[in-house]
Amino acid sequence: MVYTKKSPALLIIGVVMLLWGWLNASGSIDGMQQYFQKSAYSDHLKVKEKFDAEFRVASEIAAAESKPAPDMKMPKSKFDEAKAFQANMSYIFGGVATLLGLLILVWKPKEGNLDYYLSIFPGMAYILLIAFLVRWGLDPMFANWGKAAQPTLGWNFASIFNLNYVVLGIVIGIVIVNVFKIPDWAANGVRTARFFLKTGVILLGALYSATELAQLGAISVLLIGFFVLGSIGVVLYMGRRMNTGNSMTAVLASGVGVCGVSAAVAASPVVNAKAGEIAYTIGTILVWGVGCMFLFPTIGHLLGMGPVQFGAWAGTGILNSAQVAGAALAFDPHGIETLKVAEIFNITRVLFLPIVVLWLATWYVKHEVGAEKVDLRKVLFAKFPLFVLGFILMFLLSTLGAFTPSGHYQGKYFSSEQIKEDKLLKGKETKAIEAELTRLKEPAGAKQLQDFFTEKAINIGQRHATPEDAYKGLTELIANRKVSTREQETLLKAVGKMKGLDAVAANAIDKASKAAYHSSKTIGAFRDWLAWLFAFGLIGLGMQITMAALKQAGGTPLIIGGVVGTIKAVGSLIVVLLFVKEFI
Amino acid sequence: MKAPLKMLLCHHGSSGARAAETLAHEVAVPGTTTLVHCLVVPELWAGMQGDDWLNNASTRDAFGNYVEGMLESDARRELATVEAGCRERGLAYESIMRFGNPAETALAVAAEVGADLVVIGAPRRKGEQGLNSRMELEKLVRGLGCPLLIAAHP
Repeated sequence: MVYTKKSPALLIIGVVMLLWGWLNASGSIDGMQQYFQKSAYSDHLKVKEKFDAEFRVASEIAAAESKPAPDMKMPKSKFDEAKAFQANMSYIFGGVATLLGLLILVWKPKEGNLDYYLSIFPGMAYILLIAFLVRWGLDPMFANWGKAAQPTLGWNFASIFNLNYVVLGIVIGIVIVNVFKIPDWAANGVRTARFFLKTGVILLGALYSATELAQLGAISVLLIGFFVLGSIGVVLYMGRRMNTGNSMTAVLASGVGVCGVSAAVAASPVVNAKAGEIAYTIGTILVWGVGCMFLFPTIGHLLGMGPVQFGAWAGTGILNSAQVAGAALAFDPHGIETLKVAEIFNITRVLFLPIVVLWLATWYVKHEVGAEKVDLRKVLFAKFPLFVLGFILMFLLSTLGAFTPSGHYQGKYFSSEQIKEDKLLKGKETKAIEAELTRLKEPAGAKQLQDFFTEKAINIGQRHATPEDAYKGLTELIANRKVSTREQETLLKAVGKMKGLDAVAANAIDKASKAAYHSSKTIGAFRDWLAWLFAFGLIGLGMQITMAALKQAGGTPLIIGGVVGTIKAVGSLIVVLLFVKEFI
Repeated sequence: MKAPLKMLLCHHGSSGARAAETLAHEVAVPGTTTLVHCLVVPELWAGMQGDDWLNNASTRDAFGNYVEGMLESDARRELATVEAGCRERGLAYESIMRFGNPAETALAVAAEVGADLVVIGAPRRKGEQGLNSRMELEKLVRGLGCPLLIAAHP
């Protein structure tokens, strides 16, 4: 079979990308970019103003000394960097797409590896073009509209409904597959979305510290263990009571309990699920998952949840694993802290999957007359998620210093030599912190601090921090004009987020924290690439959610799925708010 | 009405389809009518792996093969049942199995075989369980070049 479809689509996409790159590089669309990149453009104006002033002074000095006007170059602003990034991305990917597009047009495809691998590029370029459109166009546009409508509506609809590039990308994917259909030339490439999501999770492994992984791992095992096993138990009970049939009950239990569609796919053949039962289960899970993906981030923001709490909640409460990643990025689209937490929960779920499939297979054989026994060892090996090994390998390599300076996680940047003078706190900043320290030592302030520590239960080392630690940390910060240890950074960063703290002092603490604990530029770029990888994967997965599958939700399975899904979402929210603290 | 020569029966095993089968038997004339059984596997199955991304390729393949095998065996069983019913009544029988949109496939098959009558079951009543893959009646009625007979609910 020949997979490559002869179509000019890839060439057209490549040319469109190249054109966008050229428009950005030449400055032809600066007016439009000023609208899209409002905050970066405001930075640009400040940089320009500062440069103009410096240039004027330098020119006056040069003129006074009868020297020629100085040759000064304006430093790059965030706006320049954003345009350069768009131009570079467009040139790189547009160039590759154009060349491959030409190859597809001139080459006569024959069966074989070249044909197979070439056939995936048009679909990949298609998703990437949508990702560009969403991230560089629709995302800032909705943000601007949200802000513009705020005075009239009284609230920012773009922010409340999380209309960022992740949500918009998934919605566009769903619209394309259901309204326009995926073009034949793109079908093979769209399927690579799974591969990119798994690659994203594997690479994410490089960004965890051992402490983070240990603590998040422990929380996730407890939460997932309780809610997965609990929801499976409830589905099995309800299924028996409502006479849904053993195979229906078992496949629904796997989907609702573990990781949604993936679990239903893994369990269906093992429990001999019938066609209609699979359709009901997958429809129910998709309806629930897509609904939660829109609802969870909004609720998370309304409740003022942070990355750890939201990641833990989404990772436990959302039925379908793809929507866990979607909700995490929708909640926190410009950082990957929430995604890091949520993905640990996803990995824990998928590690539970083989065990749950075994359990359900055993349950099914016990309850179904004439059911064949399952080879348990075979099931355990077949269902083991191999990509988790890649994640662990990346974590180990990272911990051993293969990607970052080996001292990075040990606090390399806390030493004085590594911090430049301009990163140290200024006089007015230390004074603001001093004033706050005095206030926090007074009875009202001390009570506020005590309440905050009781609520947040901040861990430093192997114990909970106390207000005395905060006094000591702030005093040392004032004396050294920088944070000196990792524990101090964790503690003060938390204190800096306390409500009612003076803004100058809070900013100064944040600045000190960033100065001491900054990531390398490579790590920053790596995080950006990861966000792109996940966005790409999620848009592709959106293209695989069909209305025909969603419409299958109904009947008793929807009732059971709805009840258990609600219990799981609300129950995990309560547990997370009560027991999971924001700081790891 | 003249006895139909080629009668297309759209049948996929639901209770409505069984009513259509009974009606088709009543209308068909042994020795004259050939009953063409059109069984459509709805295209919704193409998207039934949804957005699964956690599983290994082997698990997805196992699921795909399992669903495919099950749909095929279900379809073969239905074909055999309808064929047996026709044989019992001395009716000539042909079968066509397709994957796609039910209405579009029925229109295509009706044109291909030159059907002079199409028999279908009534749409499922609201609240009744079953796959949500209904025949789009308007599309079918607008596109058909022959009479359409709809069996009442059983």
